[in-house]
Amino acid sequence: MLNINDLHARVEDTAILHGLNLEVKPGEVHAIMGPNGAGKSTLGNVLAGRPGYEVTGGTVTYKGSDLLELEAEDRARAGVFLAFQYPVEIPGVSNMEFLKASVDAIRTARGEEAMSSMDFIKLAREKCKAVDLPQDFLKRGVNEGFSGGEKKRNELLQMMLLEPSLCILDETDSGLDIDALQVVARGVNALRSPDRGIIVVTHYQRLLDYIVPDYVHVLAKGRIVKSGGRELALELEKHGYSWIDEEVA
Amino acid sequence: MSENIDQYLKSEYSAGWITDIESLTIPPGLNEDVIRLISAKKQEPEWMLEWRLKAYRAWLEMKEPEWAHVVYPKPDFQALSYYSSPKSMEDGPQSLDEVDPELLRTYEKLGIPVHEQEVLAGVAVDMVFDSVSVGTTFRQKLKDAGVIFCPISEAVHEYPELVKKYLGSVVPQKDNFYAALNSAVFSDGSFVYIPKGVRCPMELSTYFRINEAKTGQFERTLIIADEGSQVSYLEGCTAPMRDENQLHAAVVELVALDDADIKYSTVQNWYPGDAEGKGGIYNFVTKRGIAHTRSKISWTQVETGSAVTWKYPSCILKGDDSIGEFYSVALTSNHQQADTGTKMIHLGKNTRSTIIAKGISAKQSSNSYRGLVKMNPGAEGARNYTQCDSLLIGDKCGAHTFPYIESKNPTAVIEHEATTSKVSDDQLFLCQQRGIDAEKAVSMIVNGFCKDVFRELPMEFAVEAGKLLEVSLEGAVG
Amino acid sequence: MSDPMQAEQAHQGLQAQSDWGWLKDWRASAWSQFAATPWPTRKTEAWKYTPLKSMLDTEWSLAEQPGTGTGTVFEDWDRTVITLVDGKVADHDALPEGVTVRLLSKATPEQRAQFEDRLSKTLAGDQLFTTFNQALLAEAVWIDVAPETVLEKPLHINQVLSSSANGRAVPVRLMLDLGGRSQMTLVETFSSESDGPVFINPVTEIEVGDSAKLTHYHLLLETGDVRHLGSVQAVLRAHSQMNSFHMALGGVLKRKDIVVRHCGSGAHLQLNGVYLPKGKEHVDYHTTLEHEVPHGTSNEVFRGIIGDEAKAVFNGRIHIHKDAQKTLAELSNKNLLTSHKAEINTKPELEIYADDVKCAHGATVAQLDKGSMFYFLSRGISRQEAEVMMSFGFINELLETLDDEPVKQLLRPMLAALFAKEDELARHLV
Repeated sequence: MLNINDLHARVEDTAILHGLNLEVKPGEVHAIMGPNGAGKSTLGNVLAGRPGYEVTGGTVTYKGSDLLELEAEDRARAGVFLAFQYPVEIPGVSNMEFLKASVDAIRTARGEEAMSSMDFIKLAREKCKAVDLPQDFLKRGVNEGFSGGEKKRNELLQMMLLEPSLCILDETDSGLDIDALQVVARGVNALRSPDRGIIVVTHYQRLLDYIVPDYVHVLAKGRIVKSGGRELALELEKHGYSWIDEEVA
Repeated sequence: MSENIDQYLKSEYSAGWITDIESLTIPPGLNEDVIRLISAKKQEPEWMLEWRLKAYRAWLEMKEPEWAHVVYPKPDFQALSYYSSPKSMEDGPQSLDEVDPELLRTYEKLGIPVHEQEVLAGVAVDMVFDSVSVGTTFRQKLKDAGVIFCPISEAVHEYPELVKKYLGSVVPQKDNFYAALNSAVFSDGSFVYIPKGVRCPMELSTYFRINEAKTGQFERTLIIADEGSQVSYLEGCTAPMRDENQLHAAVVELVALDDADIKYSTVQNWYPGDAEGKGGIYNFVTKRGIAHTRSKISWTQVETGSAVTWKYPSCILKGDDSIGEFYSVALTSNHQQADTGTKMIHLGKNTRSTIIAKGISAKQSSNSYRGLVKMNPGAEGARNYTQCDSLLIGDKCGAHTFPYIESKNPTAVIEHEATTSKVSDDQLFLCQQRGIDAEKAVSMIVNGFCKDVFRELPMEFAVEAGKLLEVSLEGAVG
Repeated sequence: MSDPMQAEQAHQGLQAQSDWGWLKDWRASAWSQFAATPWPTRKTEAWKYTPLKSMLDTEWSLAEQPGTGTGTVFEDWDRTVITLVDGKVADHDALPEGVTVRLLSKATPEQRAQFEDRLSKTLAGDQLFTTFNQALLAEAVWIDVAPETVLEKPLHINQVLSSSANGRAVPVRLMLDLGGRSQMTLVETFSSESDGPVFINPVTEIEVGDSAKLTHYHLLLETGDVRHLGSVQAVLRAHSQMNSFHMALGGVLKRKDIVVRHCGSGAHLQLNGVYLPKGKEHVDYHTTLEHEVPHGTSNEVFRGIIGDEAKAVFNGRIHIHKDAQKTLAELSNKNLLTSHKAEINTKPELEIYADDVKCAHGATVAQLDKGSMFYFLSRGISRQEAEVMMSFGFINELLETLDDEPVKQLLRPMLAALFAKEDELARHLV
């Protein structure tokens, strides 16, 4: 599904990724862990096509075609979803308007019919319940005045509505208390399916107690320096990241 | 009571004495003959005289500007003398050693380093006394680096091509009423040229002193920083305490060619008048710089003096990626009035400007910030950030903000913020409860309020500026 | 100044009408003041960015017979409507209890004395087109709401320029006296069915009594060749509240001077507005908040989106008088330019003569936020649709603060249509 080969990228004048390789197959959950500044968030932003993140080398193949060729909105329509680490507030545009516009755009791209407003409202309300957000959040401005946890749940709500093929969760666990973390994990687990790939980017292994990954990768200095199974995360928990640096050096 | 406070409770305007020196002052009045006389005294070439006369004729057609938030009796331009020089300077340029010791003592008394050997930091000084430059230090050392630093009257003779090319190129003769007047009658001022790629080896400074009664001072400063060069220039001003108002109408032009960097700092401490508003300098000044590609012009000013101030050091950001900065502290007390600020004219792509203006009003004074940020259609990706803060001390003063923002480019970003605050009773009480008396507390609060600007000043000026504020605020809290 | 607007004949014609004898001097003094005022140029501070050139191309006359027109219709909003066509009262609903209306054109001898007393009473300072209004005034609607009256239904002053108003100057005045402890909603709408040129010159004078509460809408919805030059001037008495919302769409030239005076302590003003010129339109809002007494609070928010070759001017002045201690006043003005030929000139001003006050203003000019844009794109929404939704959101944020749902219902589709070149792009709004 996703094949990242020798990816180099920079943000403004700073090179961040230095030859990253990663393969994600349908049905797999990959966790990417690493110390601050390793390039974890850069990876998600590069895949989603955020302006200012410049790819300087390497390739990314998604479902057999070149992902990097696509505009940000076309990547989303092709099924790439990035759950933002810092979701943006857009006052004046209601969450409902935003979600409907997004769902319509993506359904249209898939050749499906646009949903009727009634059906959409029903669906949105249902998903709200699933992520434990009160329904009046649909009427409020996008992320406007939401707490950190509410913003993350709103990201999850969007993910559930859009049913992407590739989900990238960028430090979705940061700033969440244990209850919110469980809600998010439950949502992500509900989305696990044989035809969907999930990349969970996180600094702490705590999230992985709830979303059990198939693979764990350690990202340091812009490259994946170690890969393994679930146990690698536990090792990181125990020893921190410093031993990675030593090993890499 | 601490020693510190003791010291400033005694102090008044400390630069208010008069130098007892014989001066040659031409009779009051202004006409073409006076301009010819000034030009003749300086043995100027014909083109310079013509330039002055052109300005004079334009001035006759112009009206004194009235839009500023200041009120004062209009000066009687025929009652002023337009040229005054110490008699000992009549015989033309002399070396520093030959300058009348009484004149040098004037500057020593003001704390200006006049003898090269006793200078601590490397600061070269041009001393302008009424209408003439009385001496410039470190000329040889600067010359070795290729830097020209001399009185502008001398530059007219020695470097006519540079003067012809750049004089009036940033502030044209007809720019405004006072600039036109200055162009007609300017007497002296400093000329600086930094050659390509040269980083000026020391700070340059000019110290202006108005001494003679009933005279105006009309200095003209021209600084040219050639490609890739760098210079920091300081300006200081004082005048004796006199009961009548005196006029100071200067023009400063800065030219920063590609990749050049000019830092221009002013500590303006002209006599502000007494507590009843009698006397003081009218300070009507035009200062402007033009910034070419990737160059930077930074204005920093601390304005504590003058009865009336009308002054807007500005930047024309002509070249792509050029930068303009304006950092200002303007303090008014007693009956002082200040209308000051800046203009940032963005012409080039990705030009950037920053404006930090702090106004402090005390007693019956009036303090206005007036600024213009203009994004022309070509200013793609340009940015401005402006922060204007006013601090009021007492309920009889006024603090005003008049920012003009004009944008014709959708990619330009402008952010302007302004706030007002007072020195609160709570703050004062807290300080007093900790054993700090009210005046010291006010001065601490004011210094804190101004620190973003003081940080931009060269070290020795920053200290002076802090002290000046203390003196000016004396008695501001009851 | 002689008569650059070619309106003297209109003034003299009005003065010659016999039944108007009682107002003659009042008008004549205004005319001589107007005629003596130098015609504004770029050097006239109040008109620096708004050229009045377009006012000179027509010999303005007064409408003799008003035409017909519908004006602005709100769906499902039970309200009391007074419709004025071309500045003349054409129709009105029955008035609720506690409300009396006097018309200048039908003033009884007794009312004439009252009018003479009331006209221009709330005005502060000289404004060129308020003076013009006085010189040519033939109709004023004076609404008086008795103290302690709570009006359930909003009062809607529905002003419409008819299709026969071409070449007309339409001076008209509205006065509202809201009695102590009364509460009401006043809706003023302006629309036009004229091909133009047409010049509407309205002056609204409002007095909000002690502890009274006024919700006020002043919506300039005319499009086409309309020049709208007018003012809203309000006086707030002690502990009163005024919540005023302004909007300007379309029109060749629109200029509104809004002056609110805090004359009684403890009053609160919320003043919001939006301006949305496009094409070659020109909108200018000049607002002045006069804090004349202590303990007043004001919060002002204006936003504009300027597209195509349009120009907008915003001048927001806060004036804190010497005695107005403990005032809190804030102003925010944000602008989006959406075209390389659009232009904004903004000047937030503070003039402060009291020290124990908190005042702040902020102004920004920018493009749509890039971070927000990426958020839309990353959800598959096209750039064009995202632009429409973000522009809409920028303005809608202020609409959301309005109390009256029908006003939102009226304005939201107008906004959506304004930003979306194709209907498709606005399908997720409204």
